[in-house]
Amino acid sequence: MLEARAFEPDFLRRLDRLILGVKRARTVRAGQRTIGRVQGLGIEPENFKEYAEGDDLRFLDWNAFARLDDLLIRTYRAERQVEITVMLDGSASMALPERDDKFGLARALAATFAYIGMAENDAVRIVSFGSRRDGVKLQPTPFYRRREQYQAFKPVLDDLRCAGETRLSAAVGELLLQRRPAGVVILISDFLVNQTDFEEAMLHLLGTRQEIKLVHVMGEMESEGSYPPGLYRVRDSESGELREVAFGPELATACRGRVTALSERIHEFCMGHAIIYAQAFGARHLDAILERELPVMGVIR
Amino acid sequence: MGLLNPNSLLWAISIAILFAIYLRSRSRPTLEVSSLLLFDEAAAPTARVRHLRIDPLFWLEMAVLGAITLALAGLYVRSSSAASRGRTRALVFDLAAGIGAREGSGTRLDAAKKQALAIVDGAPERDRFSLIGYALEAEMIHPETANRETIRKAITGLRSMAVPGRRAAQSAALMRARAAGEVEFFADRRPATSVVADSGLSSGFHFHQSGAPADNLAIVSLDPGIPYSSRGRAVLKNFGPTPRTCELAIDNGGKEVFHQTLVLAAREQILVPFGPLTAGGLVHARILDHDALEADNDRYAYAPVESHAHVLVLSPDAAARDDIARVLLAVNSNFIITTSDPAHFTGTEQYALAVMHDCYVAGITAQSILLIFPPVSASAKIPGLGITGTSVAALMTNQGRADSNAAPTALASTRTLAIPEWMSVNASGAAAGAHETLPLVAAGSLPSGEFGVVAFDVRQHLLLDPDRLDALVATVDLVRELTAPTQLRIVSTGTFLAVPAPPDAKVVAPDGSTISPSRDKWGRLRIRPLQPGDYSIESPTAKTDVYANYYDASESDLTASTASPAPLLKSAGAAASGLAPMQVQPLSALLIVFAVLAILLESALLLRTANRWGMRHV
Repeated sequence: MLEARAFEPDFLRRLDRLILGVKRARTVRAGQRTIGRVQGLGIEPENFKEYAEGDDLRFLDWNAFARLDDLLIRTYRAERQVEITVMLDGSASMALPERDDKFGLARALAATFAYIGMAENDAVRIVSFGSRRDGVKLQPTPFYRRREQYQAFKPVLDDLRCAGETRLSAAVGELLLQRRPAGVVILISDFLVNQTDFEEAMLHLLGTRQEIKLVHVMGEMESEGSYPPGLYRVRDSESGELREVAFGPELATACRGRVTALSERIHEFCMGHAIIYAQAFGARHLDAILERELPVMGVIR
Repeated sequence: MGLLNPNSLLWAISIAILFAIYLRSRSRPTLEVSSLLLFDEAAAPTARVRHLRIDPLFWLEMAVLGAITLALAGLYVRSSSAASRGRTRALVFDLAAGIGAREGSGTRLDAAKKQALAIVDGAPERDRFSLIGYALEAEMIHPETANRETIRKAITGLRSMAVPGRRAAQSAALMRARAAGEVEFFADRRPATSVVADSGLSSGFHFHQSGAPADNLAIVSLDPGIPYSSRGRAVLKNFGPTPRTCELAIDNGGKEVFHQTLVLAAREQILVPFGPLTAGGLVHARILDHDALEADNDRYAYAPVESHAHVLVLSPDAAARDDIARVLLAVNSNFIITTSDPAHFTGTEQYALAVMHDCYVAGITAQSILLIFPPVSASAKIPGLGITGTSVAALMTNQGRADSNAAPTALASTRTLAIPEWMSVNASGAAAGAHETLPLVAAGSLPSGEFGVVAFDVRQHLLLDPDRLDALVATVDLVRELTAPTQLRIVSTGTFLAVPAPPDAKVVAPDGSTISPSRDKWGRLRIRPLQPGDYSIESPTAKTDVYANYYDASESDLTASTASPAPLLKSAGAAASGLAPMQVQPLSALLIVFAVLAILLESALLLRTANRWGMRHV
């Protein structure tokens, strides 16, 4: 399975020098949460700036005032304390087509982002979500911060099974109920949901000031519409709906058009809401995807 | 439309198999996909699930299998050959006495001819006609031909006969006509439904009735009685629905002995006594009123002459001699009868009739010879007669007489006779324990005289036994035939009659026409009177008159055409829709061509589908 590659030494070695860029540093003060790039409570001085009214006088550099007769405020780099949540779509649609190993690709990417996210000792967890009879079920891992703990994700990922419908907004709502500090949410899914559900989920995340990165995973056959030609009765893996379909060139073209439209629609939404969007189509192109899409995702060498 | 090999329809099971395969194919492979969202726009190739849908390939395969099955079953259609050869039409004419009834200025037959000629003239050029007539027998008057002129001549030359129309002849005529595409039936009365149905007509039957109901008077019978002894009787019948006067005249030897106008009630039959006659000879009764059918207005009878004819009776048995003499006197009381034991007979006299029972004496001169229970030596007397043996007992079968007993008459010893061709068998039976027909009574005439033979023995008072009356009746009829004058015969129309005649004799018919028939090897002319009246067989040296009488109750009843029900002939009516002889045309070749075309079309559709799907095969 593809997810096994994410734990191979050679593969991890390629990721060692990569770090996940985040737009906003998080400074965590005991009992509260403060967001800002400059005024952090870190110990590493970052810069000086002229005093302005309202600045904390505790950071006034009296030595500089004595020498230069200017009021300067010393600033510090805020200490990074970002929680990275990798949300992995575990709905039934992720398991199909089997030949595409779409879920294997998704799990490999989830592990990859977790590994990269742990590069700077950020707290990383993987949350798989899928719907069950009693509602949306989240399967979160604990937060891990050090790479030595990376292997703890492996049994979790191995045990994941796809089932149920993709109820994105419900899963996001369930996640936000945990009231964790705002952080980075990397959502890996095929996004085969209706647009309303998708947008509602994204707006929920944005409303809690989460930094969102979307990874659109699809199988090669699925995205190309290259099903074996002939007359088939197809069944939706999530709704169970049946439909008679004649696979052939016409349908392949239509499928490609449909996937393109779906991607464009997601991409357009992401552009308008400062969400990073990356495509990962085809499991056998994992390396190419990482090479092409990691920079898009803000991964820095 | 029908099937030559209906059992081959079992191949239709293959259609059921195909159908099962089709239904099985409806459960096409189910492919689970991530979401149907990706297939929303694939509108054309998708179809909703249903049990039966318009699948050209399936229906083409059904058509192929159906066509092959029907080809194996031998599907055929019956088609008309009219398009290629024209129709064949049979014109069937009733030529019995009734159709000869007067109808306006002509006869019913004339009206029928007119209708037939109109049909012939109005028919398309390619139509072919045949002409069939029937009365006592059915006759193909003109075979099928497209030559209009000859068929017109044949129709014009049709003549009715004063004979009854037999139902068997009617059936035979229709059977002969059934090969034709259409049957045009001309008669004065509708044929029985069963006759048409039994004739097996498979084509159109069109009945053309000619003649309206008409009154008719007829002389049913004429009994001249015995001159000076008993009165004669004539029976008259009015077939009309209204009372009629009837002027009846009876002549005896050219002298009128009765002339009276009688009144007959509607459909009444009366008996008119006359005489006794004062002289023997020909008696002619005639109805002087004109009516539709003239043939039954004249009737002839023969009254025995009063002259004393000498009759010889020879028998070794005295009781038999006595019985035979009694019978002879009953036939003609004027007979002078001489009886003798053949062992002691020495007479050389000439007799009118010599009766020899169980004996044969050569050298007897007689105008007529009657041999009863003849010994083998008697075969020399009658040319061609063979006496092959004797049966201990025999049965005389019913000779079709209405007054005879239904049960056969048991006879005593009976000679087994081989009757020559020139003699006609009047009665027959079978030897006890045998099945072969045994001639019992026969008569015939040669130029040398009249001959009769009775095969059974008349000992033990057989002729006087009331339980064996048929034997007496057959004997009396034979004696009458033998004692009738040779120059005067009275027969019914339609009867075949062999009359000894000189080589140069000719026959003059009642209408004045003359024919010269050839004689047979026994020197006889064989004639069959078909018109009532006097058929005169004339030669320079001799003359014989044959008077033919006609009467038939059904033919003389000219109201019968309306009295009989006229149901629509179901079978004929159904067949009337046919226009020409039907031909069976198997459709096997056509069905196979259809199957091949269907397969080719299916292949084309498959290729198109393959191309659409970008595949090399389906």
